[in-house]
Amino acid sequence: MKRLLDYQVLDRLPIRIWTPNHIQVRQYAEASGDFNPIHLDDNYARQAGLGGVIVHGMLTMAQMAAMLTDWIGKEGGLSNIEVRFEKMVRPGDTISCSGLIRRRSKNALECDLEAYNHKDEKVLSGLAHISIQL
Amino acid sequence: MIGKELIGKESESVVIKIRSEEVHRFTEALGIPFSHLVPPTYVGILSQASIPGFEAPLPGMIHGEQKITYLRPLYVGDCLTSKRRIKDVYERKGKLGSVTIMVIETSGYDLAGELIFTSSSTLIAPAKVESE
Repeated sequence: MKRLLDYQVLDRLPIRIWTPNHIQVRQYAEASGDFNPIHLDDNYARQAGLGGVIVHGMLTMAQMAAMLTDWIGKEGGLSNIEVRFEKMVRPGDTISCSGLIRRRSKNALECDLEAYNHKDEKVLSGLAHISIQL
Repeated sequence: MIGKELIGKESESVVIKIRSEEVHRFTEALGIPFSHLVPPTYVGILSQASIPGFEAPLPGMIHGEQKITYLRPLYVGDCLTSKRRIKDVYERKGKLGSVTIMVIETSGYDLAGELIFTSSSTLIAPAKVESE
């Protein structure tokens, strides 16, 4: 098993595959308190010009963060994560969250983040800073 | 209506305890195992004091960007004070016409007043919707 300390520039992080559905979106609305109808009411979302309900951006970001925390384990900590929501994610999409080491120092890693849907469209891009416990 | 006059407006500070049941509900919704180390995006959903003169989300508003920075880890059971502030409001012309961009930052401090995290949301609203 490769340790955090072994990662070098251009190494890829383990990918996380995630398939959101309506039940999860509803569950996330309840857990987060974000009941914006664009996530829950298909007619409302269509009228708002979104073409149907969309998954909470923060739920997609949380999956990216889960990819990172799984990978980091107890060997370090996430000190910064920033993302741009490039394209809407919809229930039923299959999303793959991936990352690439972009820079490293003795005790820190900087990673590029990207998530794509099953149509190979980029839905999220971003950056993360990880501190390694020495 | 949102405009530049909102820049700098902030909420009051609210005291929040990171509760095990709420974190459980959150990790269950995400489909990840519960841990005492709070999931990184959890601070994005902390109960938030309202900012006088502004109520989000506005109809049609979408989430464009999010940035979360931790100065130290956050654990279940921690107590903190949190505050929201409107950092910026500006208009931008894009492919879909003119939109209003709003940046709202939430900061969390421990009870000694040390910063634990900042979480900054960039929200995008169609600029002309309000006048309909």
